[in-house]
This record gives sequence, C-alpha cells and structure tokens, in this order.
Amino acid sequence: MSTQARIRSRELRDARAAAERRRRKRNRAIAAGGAVVIACLLIAIVVGLVNAAGSGDSPTAAAPQGKAVAPAIATPGGALAVGDAAAPVKLEVYLDYMCPFCGRFEQANSGELDRMVAEGTVRLELYPLSFLDRMSDGSQYSTRTANAVATVADRAPGKLLALNTALFARQPAEGTKGLSDGEIADLARGAGVPEDVVDAFDDRIFQPWVTKSTAAVFETGIEGTPTVKINGTVFTGDLYTAGPLTSAVAAAEDAR
Amino acid sequence: MTTPLLTRLHGIRHTDGWIFGTMLLSACLSLAASFVLSIDALRLAADPGTSLSCNINDVISCGTVATSWQAQLFGFPNAFLGLVAEPVVITIAVASLGGVRFPRWFMLAAQVVYALGLVFAYWLFSQSMFVIGALCPWCLLVTVSTTLVFATLTHVNIRDGNLFLPPRAQAAAKRFIDADLDLIAVTIWILVLILAIVLKYGPALLA
Repeated sequence: MSTQARIRSRELRDARAAAERRRRKRNRAIAAGGAVVIACLLIAIVVGLVNAAGSGDSPTAAAPQGKAVAPAIATPGGALAVGDAAAPVKLEVYLDYMCPFCGRFEQANSGELDRMVAEGTVRLELYPLSFLDRMSDGSQYSTRTANAVATVADRAPGKLLALNTALFARQPAEGTKGLSDGEIADLARGAGVPEDVVDAFDDRIFQPWVTKSTAAVFETGIEGTPTVKINGTVFTGDLYTAGPLTSAVAAAEDAR
Repeated sequence: MTTPLLTRLHGIRHTDGWIFGTMLLSACLSLAASFVLSIDALRLAADPGTSLSCNINDVISCGTVATSWQAQLFGFPNAFLGLVAEPVVITIAVASLGGVRFPRWFMLAAQVVYALGLVFAYWLFSQSMFVIGALCPWCLLVTVSTTLVFATLTHVNIRDGNLFLPPRAQAAAKRFIDADLDLIAVTIWILVLILAIVLKYGPALLA
C-alpha cells in the first residue's frame, strides 16, 4: 500500500469516527430532550390529578349543611308532585338531567305524560337526582338543574313540566360542563317561568334538599336512572318508545 | 455506577424475550378488554332495556359509548375485531419466543394490518373523547395495549430488517432504535394519552 493510500484510508476512518461521535452526541441530546419532556408530562399528570381530586371534593364540602328546605309540592320521599292528588295512577320518575337515557325517555314519553297529567289520570312524582354531578367536569350540572327545577316547583309549579322538557331538549353530553347558570335561566324564561323565580336559582335554596333526597332515594334501592314506577311497582317495559308506558298506565288505571 | 446497568438494560430491551414478551402481555390485555366489551355488546343486544340507564354505581359513564353508532362501525361490535386479531398477535409472540422466525413478507403483512388496527383504535379513541363525550375504561385499555403491540412489532421489524425499507431509511431506523429513541417516543406518546384523559375526565374519575 502506498503512503498516499494509507493516509487516505486513515482520513476516511477518522471522518467515520467523527461522524459516529457526532451522531452519538446528537442522539444523547435528543434523549435528554425526551427525558425532559417525559418529566414535564409526569408533572402535568400529577398536577392534573391533584386538581381533579380537589375539584371533585370541594363542591361536596361547599354544599350548604344544616336544614334542607323542601319545595312546597315535595313529597316526604323527595319527589316533586304534579297533577291531581286523587288521580288513580301514581307515576314516579327517577331522573338526572345529565343522564342521556333520561333524555331519551323524556323525548319518547313527555307528550303522553303531559296529556295524562292534564286529564287527571296520572299524578306524576319527579325525583330530580344529582348523582351524575361527577359527569359534568366539576360544574355540578345535575345539582344546578335539579335546584332550578325544585325552585320552579316551589314557586311556579305550573311551569315545572315545561322546564323539565326544555332541560332535556338541550341536554349536554356526558363529561361536559353542561349549560351555564345563565343558559339554564334563559331556558326557564323560555319555558314561561317568572323572572323573580328565575333570579332565585342563584340562591341555591333547594340544593341541600336535592342532596338529601338523592341520598334518600338510593336508600330505597333505586339502582339507576331513568327508573319509572307505576303505583309503586317498577315499570320494566320499553321506556324509549311512546306507547308501552301509556298502555301500562291504562292497565293500572283499569285495575283499580 | 449506573452505566453498566443502563448498558445491560439496553441490551435486554433489544432481546427477543423482552420484545415478544411485551407484545404477548399487551396482546393479552387487549384480548381481555375485547372479550369484556364483546360480552357487554351481546348483553346489550339481548336486553336493550336494562342496559340503557345510568347506574349509580357505574363511576365512569352511562353506557353511551356502547350504544353509539361508532361502537358498531361495520355492523357488528368493534370488539369482535379484537377477538379475531389479538389471538394472531399472541400466536406470533409465543412462536417467536419459542424461536420461530417468520418470513419477512409475513412480518411486513402483520405490520401493515396492525397499522390499520392502530388507526382504527385511535379513531375510536378520538370519537369517544371528543364526539360521544363519555369514557369507557376497557376501550382505553385497548387503545394503550394496541399502541404497545404496534410499538413492539415495529421495533422487531426494524431490528430484523423486515420492512423492505430502502437501505438508507433502514439504517436510519436502525440507529433510531439502537439509540432507544423509540422507547422515549412511545413513553411520551402514552403519557400524552394519560394526560389527555386526566385533563378531560379527572373530575369524573376522582369525584
């Protein structure tokens, strides 16, 4: 091998080694950057978890303690009763305004329910529950809507079913914050609730009652929403198409 | 010092045992989740009334994921795809652990098909996260384990040159793997997933 060739091959080797060193250095830098990103993500996850735990706990802690004022038309069991007290059929509906299937039940049956209540066939007892508060990204949507409904039940009971329908018509998706207090107030105004009653939503007067009756309802063995009882017996038919519930109510009426 | 330990870990990470072991575990998790989801889907089909409710004891969602149209994109529950595909992955992983070497075209085909599965898993994830708005823990397990299977499959295929890449690309991919940058990328990826879930569903999970 000539001297020249030897020099050339050595230069080549050196260049390769240098390239390899550069590559190593660059990879090490990328790895270090990656490690920093991983550390940041871990911190963000921990912070997110701590925040979530905090926001999950505080509403319950902040809930007003003490005596729960019940709406005027509330039953001892925690329901809002509408319709003729002497009606032959008592229909109990357990619902949560965040519950998507309660929305489907409402869509299918609200027309029939309104009619049967107006005719005096049915005494409707609504249980607005708040157990799906956990599904509204910390905004306590279930409690806020249940309080609004209870306030209307107390002071403008004639508008209760209209607000109930309006809330389900604009039902938010699970896991979202849901409607704001202002939007709930607008819905109530749209349903014909007087202004002074709408203004009282913000006072959260019936929030303790909602909390208390939700707990009381689950004590009675209700496992989920929507649950519908006809004269005290759970209705096991199809809740999501119009008709079956109406027939069952008619049958219950005939049975008396 | 820690350097010998790191070198040893680095060595272990590129062994068949580690790669196919991880693949096997992830595929088993995915299969288990698919199984649970399939059974749920069958129950739901048999008895739609009882499942269409918000149970007080279900911490996460009201079952809206299972009843969405996205849950049956091809006319049958998506989870059935997992029941069909994951046993194949398990077979590949177990055979490879036992020393079997599959032809290059076979591994390339597995990579391509699994990439489709990965795309599908992430489409479902984004749908449940941004459209349906409800969380489904078993679906999340599928998303994470599908990611891990894909990562290990890619790892081994690059290591063994199964992807019919041009020489330059193959060399670059090999260097990427040798520098453990894929490990960092996958770790970041999984952590981003976890962060997204915590940010969106943290209150629901912890309340």
